[in-house]
Amino acid sequence: MFIMVFLAKRLAQGTLIVVLVAFVIFTLLRVVPGDPVRLMAGGMAPETLIEQIATEMGLRDPIPVQFGRYIASVAQGDLGQSFMRPASGAAVGGASFDDMTRSERARVLDLIAEAAPKTLQLALLAMVFALIVAVPIGVAGGLHPGRWPDRMALYLGSVFVSLPNFWLGIVLALLLSVKLGWLPAIGYRGFAYTVLPAIVLAVEMAPFIIRTLTVSVAQIMRQSFIDIARIRGLSRLQIIVRHALKNASVPLLNLLGVQFSMLLGGVLVVEFIFDYPGLGLLTINAVLQRDFPLIQGIAIVTSAAFVLINIAVDLATTAIDPRLEY
Amino acid sequence: MSEIDIPQPPAKPVRTLTSRIWHLAWASVEFRIGLCVFTLLLLAALLYPELRGIDPTAMNIRARFTPPLLLAEGFSWAHPLGTDQLGRDMLVRSLVGLRYSLLIGVTTVVLMLVIGCAVGMVAGYYGGRIDMLLMRLTDAQLSIPMIILAITILGVARPTIPAIILVLGLSGWPVYARVMRSTVMAERSKEYVRGARVLGASDARIMLSLLLPLVLPPIAFVAVLDIARMMIFESVLGFLGLGVQPPTPTFGNVIAEGRQYLLNAWWIATMPGVFLFLTLGSINLMGAALERARNSVYGGQR
Repeated sequence: MFIMVFLAKRLAQGTLIVVLVAFVIFTLLRVVPGDPVRLMAGGMAPETLIEQIATEMGLRDPIPVQFGRYIASVAQGDLGQSFMRPASGAAVGGASFDDMTRSERARVLDLIAEAAPKTLQLALLAMVFALIVAVPIGVAGGLHPGRWPDRMALYLGSVFVSLPNFWLGIVLALLLSVKLGWLPAIGYRGFAYTVLPAIVLAVEMAPFIIRTLTVSVAQIMRQSFIDIARIRGLSRLQIIVRHALKNASVPLLNLLGVQFSMLLGGVLVVEFIFDYPGLGLLTINAVLQRDFPLIQGIAIVTSAAFVLINIAVDLATTAIDPRLEY
Repeated sequence: MSEIDIPQPPAKPVRTLTSRIWHLAWASVEFRIGLCVFTLLLLAALLYPELRGIDPTAMNIRARFTPPLLLAEGFSWAHPLGTDQLGRDMLVRSLVGLRYSLLIGVTTVVLMLVIGCAVGMVAGYYGGRIDMLLMRLTDAQLSIPMIILAITILGVARPTIPAIILVLGLSGWPVYARVMRSTVMAERSKEYVRGARVLGASDARIMLSLLLPLVLPPIAFVAVLDIARMMIFESVLGFLGLGVQPPTPTFGNVIAEGRQYLLNAWWIATMPGVFLFLTLGSINLMGAALERARNSVYGGQR
């Protein structure tokens, strides 16, 4: 019962946040200069035609009216249609201005649904890599504060966090796929294409995991229940796994919630470098083409994901540590 | 963290927390390494392009694709890091890029600090409805993926340097607002604040002259790490073509241009990255040392 109240409250808050995000992005896109109709119809299209298309699409109405119409259709599960992309897949726009009928344009929801699983796969693999590298380093650092594992954690963390992801991506692509030929780099034609982008993303995430773990493990190891566990005759390994790691996983999960937007930024750049057809590449192309419905759709989907992840994180942490309140 | 002993001889006059943090950070090897590397890079960035007198945008077609010193055949001492596809000197371009990167990084963090601290201070000090409103705003902003916001704005507007600083600064403040609010809320009900209020001090006076000097330093120390983060963001924007526009060299756009020549001139894309990495590394080492010093000073105090 308690949990239902919590869920209802958080979901209501989350919905409000998503609507707010949608409104901010919606307004921003309409306030800044740059006419999407001009891009759609092509530079040579006459002004009257542009005005005609814009009026037909409702782009000349006041912003609150446009937003009301938009959010009403979003509530029904329709994120609209892309300005630029036809359902067939080829890019439109540019020089020709033969008017595409609206039904032929790709639906935003379809575009996102197509790209999201690839991004999810990339993010999960990166997370696995990051945890494999960061957990041993972070835990070792936390168990020996002030000594060399701690120093190493600090140095490695600083090195990892200082590697710009786009540069690392280029260097790794040059070394691993061009010079050595171990991994494919560009595009997506199978699982192997996920590995290299995931490595780059993992390097970006690892320092935060290392830092959080070092601090929290060091803190937990000073608690009195650890000393008591020792007296109870538990082995060091048992203490570390059953007590230290379990407690340290709470700040780690919280980190995941907070760092979601950072992860998203990484995904954006990494997918751009490796031409990986996920949400990130979709976003960049949408921005460069001024594809308003697509940008809005992505913003709504990502902020909804953010809200849901944070709720999930709170549920998981309370499951691990019952002392925490909802 | 408590195992680092903080020297506190009782006879000495009480040192401020700020100076204790500085001393503790200065005592660590990481901080000194970071500071040395950073000072060297800063001096190089300030002096070298002036001393050489080479324009970072000056083209020299005959000298194009000169490789860096000793790393491939055909290098030249005139261009220690080689030249790009238009014969522009890579070392000068990297160092000028470093200037822009640092300028944008530092200004952005200052802007973030100012906005975040102002919002957090007001929310934490007044509490109640104002707090509620400001914090909901902060939450909403935190849940907009910052990078999407930044590229949306810069993608549809013209990316100039002030625009970049504004966008990055405006999207980065919520974290500071939250930290500031929680510390101010803790301080607000303490004796000295109540005393000042009884003495007739105005709210603005309490906030600016009593609370700010106390709560700002711990936040400002951690902000050093954000300078590096913002420099990465700036170069990412440049790399995507949404940052400072060519021909002005920044790390991002130089690397993006060099990417096209990766196979026959690998140094164009990789060399500026080495500079960026060194700069970020030195800032991060200093920042990490400061953060640790701060944690141990504040941890030891409680």
